[in-house]
Amino acid sequence: MKTILYVVERDFKYFFRYKWWIAGMISMNLADLLIMAVVYTGMVSQEITQQYVSYFVFFAPGLTITALFAAAFMIGREINMEVRREISHYMLSLPIKRWELAIGRVLAGGFRGLVYMTPLLITTITITHVFTNVVPSPLQLLSIVAALLFISIGTSGLSISLAISTTSFEKYITARSVVYYVLFFCSTVFYPIDLIQSALPQTLALVAQYNPLSAGADLSRAFLLGYPPFSAFMFLDVVAFGLVFALVAMLAYMKVTQK
Amino acid sequence: MPTPIIRIQNLTKKFGNLYAVDHLNLDIYDGEILGLLGPNGAGKTTTLLMLTTVIKPTEGTAYIGPYDITHQTDKSRTLIGMAFQEPKLLWVSTPWAILDWHAKICGLPTNERKKRVKWALEELELWNDRHKTVHVFSGGMRKRVEIAKILIQRPKIAIVDEPTAQIDIVGKHKIWNMLRDLRDEGSTILLATNELYEADVLSDRVAIIHKGKLLVCDEPKKLKDTIPGGDVIEVVLKENITQEHLAELKNTKRVVNILTIKPNHLKIYLNQAEEILPQITEFFMKAQIPIATIQMNEPSLDDVFAHYTGLTIEEAQTK
Repeated sequence: MKTILYVVERDFKYFFRYKWWIAGMISMNLADLLIMAVVYTGMVSQEITQQYVSYFVFFAPGLTITALFAAAFMIGREINMEVRREISHYMLSLPIKRWELAIGRVLAGGFRGLVYMTPLLITTITITHVFTNVVPSPLQLLSIVAALLFISIGTSGLSISLAISTTSFEKYITARSVVYYVLFFCSTVFYPIDLIQSALPQTLALVAQYNPLSAGADLSRAFLLGYPPFSAFMFLDVVAFGLVFALVAMLAYMKVTQK
Repeated sequence: MPTPIIRIQNLTKKFGNLYAVDHLNLDIYDGEILGLLGPNGAGKTTTLLMLTTVIKPTEGTAYIGPYDITHQTDKSRTLIGMAFQEPKLLWVSTPWAILDWHAKICGLPTNERKKRVKWALEELELWNDRHKTVHVFSGGMRKRVEIAKILIQRPKIAIVDEPTAQIDIVGKHKIWNMLRDLRDEGSTILLATNELYEADVLSDRVAIIHKGKLLVCDEPKKLKDTIPGGDVIEVVLKENITQEHLAELKNTKRVVNILTIKPNHLKIYLNQAEEILPQITEFFMKAQIPIATIQMNEPSLDDVFAHYTGLTIEEAQTK
């Protein structure tokens, strides 16, 4: 257990060494929020977002998911670089169990996402409270944080799996972009499910319905906006995403890095 | 009979059709410094990576203490620490952070950890730069950070791959002394190097490896003694020697072998050189080939390498 914490600690500290990356990301996320507030709210039809006060209020919980995804995905970029520069040889030579190393790295990615996203979650809670007067209970807040943690761990696992199965940085970035667009644009992070079902082909609408990012965003909306209604499936979806990709990443890290 | 702490048995690694390590058999004894000597591409690093369980053998195995590296990988690594040839450092990190975390993951208690990290950074003259990111460091400084890892860890088996590459001569001697101290404190050291002098001064035994195969392994002195014609006369001539004269010289009594480094630069391997030296100089005088310099040497590990491979280590590297 102690060893896993040390591995998490290392990756966690490295994350905060990329100060300019973090500064850029925060600026981008806040700019996204501002653009949504000023531009999109006026552009998007009120009919589409009638249950959510405005598009801005609808989107705010989704923003936490985009921020969390970007931060949690970064662990993959580092692991890809480690493999290419053979820094992974050092990690594999350490006197610790391989599964401890693998799980430590997956969890580190997850915690990075969660910590990075926390100020944005607080901003979101404030915004949604101002517009809706909904005050989530401590249990609801805890559920939101737990769901976001599972999404973050799943994203970390997904990025690690991609990182060690792509041989070059370019391929990794391409794979990341593909994953990003599929996961985000076939989800309810940016648009409500009704709009997606009416605008996208049925297959993509189905992806959006079961997408764990949709589940995470809608779970947050359920507790922060009061709509859509909470269902246990939302939580199960994000838990399954977190556990499956954590496991896949662990196995891949243990097998693929050792040639 | 000393106890082997590493037993390498038929260890083999193939990359495609190439044997990087070819059925290697070697015992490494508890408390010794074993120099694994060979040119670049000889299979040294691949062997070390297999021993640290970073890469899997294609065939054969090795035992680290009682643990089989193919089946007990996690346990094998508990006895090992490795300093890599190319420093394995994330460039956004600092020496202090790298070494402190390394000590932590190796299980050192807090007080001991801080003490050892401080000691290593001071000894390796990195203390003043301990909070600078390593991307501003020179190659030699990065290499010192890499070496510091095993000096702090003090593993039962320390594996060091080209430990003094890119390091100045003063730094080399310091690191050699630190490795000797590590050995004296109970570690076994497996040193991979292509520097003959380093292997000679530091190793209790030297294993010469070429094209993935072990050629010979023994104490440096014994290896030198195994060369027929243990003494060497090195002659630089003012003119090139002809093939006829070379053949004639080879037939001279007590001359065992002649290595032609250049047509005017010869290494003559012979027995009892001090008795035959006048005869050799007389030979060149009679042949009317003026001598530029002549010196009598004991054989070096380069000679041992040349004896077993027919190549100097530089030639082996280029081929």
